[in-house]
Amino acid sequence: MIEVGSLCMKIAGREAGRICVVIDVLDNKFVLIDGQVRRKKCNINHVEATGKVLKLEKNASHEDVVSALKEEGIEVVEPKPKQKAPRAVKEAPVKEKKTETKKEAKAAKKEAKAEKPKAKKVKKE
Amino acid sequence: MVTGSRRSRTLRRVHRKTPGGVTRIMYVKRIPQAAKCRICGDVLKGVPRARAKQFHSMSKTEKRPSRPFGGQLCSSCMRLEMIKRARMIK
Repeated sequence: MIEVGSLCMKIAGREAGRICVVIDVLDNKFVLIDGQVRRKKCNINHVEATGKVLKLEKNASHEDVVSALKEEGIEVVEPKPKQKAPRAVKEAPVKEKKTETKKEAKAAKKEAKAEKPKAKKVKKE
Repeated sequence: MVTGSRRSRTLRRVHRKTPGGVTRIMYVKRIPQAAKCRICGDVLKGVPRARAKQFHSMSKTEKRPSRPFGGQLCSSCMRLEMIKRARMIK
């Protein structure tokens, strides 16, 4: 029978095989569980009682449940809280400011053009 | 006549209509058998029928259910296994 404090194992879902304790019987269908699983409401059909009953009060806190399980030799590994990695901030590419006016830029281009062919035309002697 | 390798039945034959309107035979690789429960032999849900190459491009959660024995046992057989374990605790 399932009552407050009975040691159970979850048999359905991704938490199947984990040990939990019934904290509260909500109605003839649902119970509140805690232990190696997250504290939550659970269908009675998804829980199998082992026959053991721990001394726990109704709606006992998570710490009480953990200490009670520890006496039975059942370790509860607390899930690590997710730590958000600091977001990499992209540095905006620094644009070189165009200080030259259009006319100056054109003149500079012309000069570059005029210089290049001269360099090429140097004959080997 | 088609090439010798295509005369065996390793490849599946599919009749497809070409853009020109003619039906031609296409040779397609066969899809592997569906994954089955190791205890009862039922077809597993949530495990795709795909070639190994397609499995490579899938994420872990796409390949099998995320419960214990997911992709090996069906959910009802897994439950029986877990009930056994629960009764072993003393």
